[in-house]
Amino acid sequence: MRTIFHLDLDTFFVSVERILDPSLKGKPVIVGGDPKYGRGVVAACSYEAREFGLHSAMPIRTAYRLCPHGVYIHGSHGEYSYFSKAVKNILKQYAPVVEKASIDEFYMDFTGCQNVYGSLFAFASFLQKEIWDELSLPCSIGIGSNKTIAKIGSDCMKPKGITYIMPGMEKDFLAPMPVETIPGVGKVTLKDLHSKGIYRICDITKLPQDYFAAAYGKYGIDLYRKANGSGSEYLTVEREQKSISHEKTFKDVTSKQFLKNKLFELTGKVCQELRDKGWQASTINIKLRYSDFQTLTRSKTIKPTDDDRIVFDAAWDMMMKAHTRRVAVRLIGIKLSKFKEYSEQQELFEFEEIKRRGMLRAINIIRAQYGYDKIQIGH
Amino acid sequence: MEFKVNSKVLEKLLSKIIPAVPTRTPMPILENFLFDIKDGAMYVSATDLEIALRSSINIASDENLKMVIPARLLYDIIRSLGETQITFNADGGSKLKITTDTGVYNIGYSSYEDFPEIPAVSKDKEIVINGLDLKKAIDQTSFAMSKEDMRPAMTGTLFEFTPDGLRFVATDGHRLVKYINKNIKSATEEQYIIPERAISVLSKLLDDADVKIYLSKSNVSFHLGDIEFVSRLIAEKYPAYSSVIPLENENKLFVNRDVLNSTIKRMMLFSSSSSKQVKFSISNNNLEVSAEDIDHGSDAVENIECKYDAEAMDIGFNTAYVNDILNHVDDESVVFKLHSPTKACIIEPETVKETEELMLLLMPVRLNN
Repeated sequence: MRTIFHLDLDTFFVSVERILDPSLKGKPVIVGGDPKYGRGVVAACSYEAREFGLHSAMPIRTAYRLCPHGVYIHGSHGEYSYFSKAVKNILKQYAPVVEKASIDEFYMDFTGCQNVYGSLFAFASFLQKEIWDELSLPCSIGIGSNKTIAKIGSDCMKPKGITYIMPGMEKDFLAPMPVETIPGVGKVTLKDLHSKGIYRICDITKLPQDYFAAAYGKYGIDLYRKANGSGSEYLTVEREQKSISHEKTFKDVTSKQFLKNKLFELTGKVCQELRDKGWQASTINIKLRYSDFQTLTRSKTIKPTDDDRIVFDAAWDMMMKAHTRRVAVRLIGIKLSKFKEYSEQQELFEFEEIKRRGMLRAINIIRAQYGYDKIQIGH
Repeated sequence: MEFKVNSKVLEKLLSKIIPAVPTRTPMPILENFLFDIKDGAMYVSATDLEIALRSSINIASDENLKMVIPARLLYDIIRSLGETQITFNADGGSKLKITTDTGVYNIGYSSYEDFPEIPAVSKDKEIVINGLDLKKAIDQTSFAMSKEDMRPAMTGTLFEFTPDGLRFVATDGHRLVKYINKNIKSATEEQYIIPERAISVLSKLLDDADVKIYLSKSNVSFHLGDIEFVSRLIAEKYPAYSSVIPLENENKLFVNRDVLNSTIKRMMLFSSSSSKQVKFSISNNNLEVSAEDIDHGSDAVENIECKYDAEAMDIGFNTAYVNDILNHVDDESVVFKLHSPTKACIIEPETVKETEELMLLLMPVRLNN
């Protein structure tokens, strides 16, 4: 039996906006599209706004009609990912395994940790307090024996709620809930289930599994299992990064010099990222898209390096060989892969590329302290 | 024309030449032996354009003839025959007829004109060295040659003639070996870089017979008994290696070679596969060797008795390099001459010999503290 926590940051985007601008506290705040132009949807809305019937994914125009006095914000996505990372860093201090399911949702596997942390309920409230104290972000936590049940749990006592579904109680806990509580049940399925007379989760469990298998195939079996309180027990841990890439789209470019400059800039970015991670790459891929959308890729394997110049020379050479048509270019990109860790093996001879290594280390230090733009490598 | 040879004699001859036949080449003509029958002798040669081998046997034939014969086919046939008398008959146009007591084998041969000429090396200057001495010099240095093409000079071994001896130097930029044979003194200072392929073929040909070496600007020729071995030289400037050999490595660590090597072999199992790093923590008469593999959560530490009375020092090395070096120092005790954890370390056999000198240089791996 596993112990899975699902932590959901309550009205995450709104909470972050309120940290950035405390005057938004207590007001109906809507993050999403621009109501003036009537485009986009509600990405998040505060509980004050929900009182007017607003909910996320609602068209922004409808929201504006229901709540014209609300504060509409376009959103600052860079800030969201910053806070999301900060939350993950706190969780990593306590949880052996953390899966980031989305920007505001995390799964944690605390199986076998009860001896360390004591009461799960008390520990969940400690985590809540920790995130509140450190970042002023409210969250809800669901605790269950699998991911699905934990997620449903975190959702049912929002905001700032904690729900612990004791092992064995899953089916009874779910029974009275409406079917749309099950993650993955969307509008279409819901309508179909209603047409079959299925409204609550217990309506599903009363029917045989084969019925759902026949009606919905694999998805049906999954639905049946979730309704019975089972679900995935294992977290998807972030996979090792396999490549670093950057690409840039233009309004049809024909100037070779322009492409060369852009490729140089992109190379600078990928190489800096590479050095920040303490890696060297040995495979370089380039991508070239013409204005008619014909896309070419080329790749080359070289001796592992993190030097902008070596990478750029190889990339530009490939780019020139690939760029044979007299057609404007729409996009270029560069990707590095096949990483190896930067070796601290010292060198006997001061060859030029070894001298450059010292220079690149110095650039790393300057950029780490003052920012990427503060020092640039010349062509 | 017709001539007879003993199969074993011919097999021995071909086995000496076959190393110069390339296994893969864009020039099919190189996959052949050149047979040159002249004045009662048969010269067989092969080349891959980088190295060339030539040897000869005496045969009873009055005619002269040159032909180019598929090397592997001929060698494999002769090798499988066992000891017997073979008759060669080359009168049948483009076919060479080989006859034994029981069989007849026809091999198509081609015109010799396309076969590249083996460069002649002037014999103005002759150096004579004992085969085993040369073999020792090569065996002790060749492991350090670079395997990367970026610096062609470092992919070979340097033969440097100096007034105090013949120096053999190899380096890959992380370690360097210098071996001096003090018996071979030269009035002038000259440098030649022999490619790796030549070194490895030469090492297998050497025995206790004397070797005559002739050098030109672009080629070197070794005469080993009846074998002539010619190799192209690497026409590059060898890095100024003398300037990187430290002069003031005052901290000396004396340690038993076999004991340390045995420890290093165990550390190789524990060091991380990417860095291969091993840490030497040296203090008063104690050497602590440790390695860890963070990825697998394993680590190891051993303490070795040694002689050391300078200031305590932590220094990191690549285990594979230390292992290589210890395998090439033929003395019971080795000396590590150290200066600081980021500067080159000199490794030498403790016993000083009169006629030869061996010095190995190893760059450390910077420890992450």
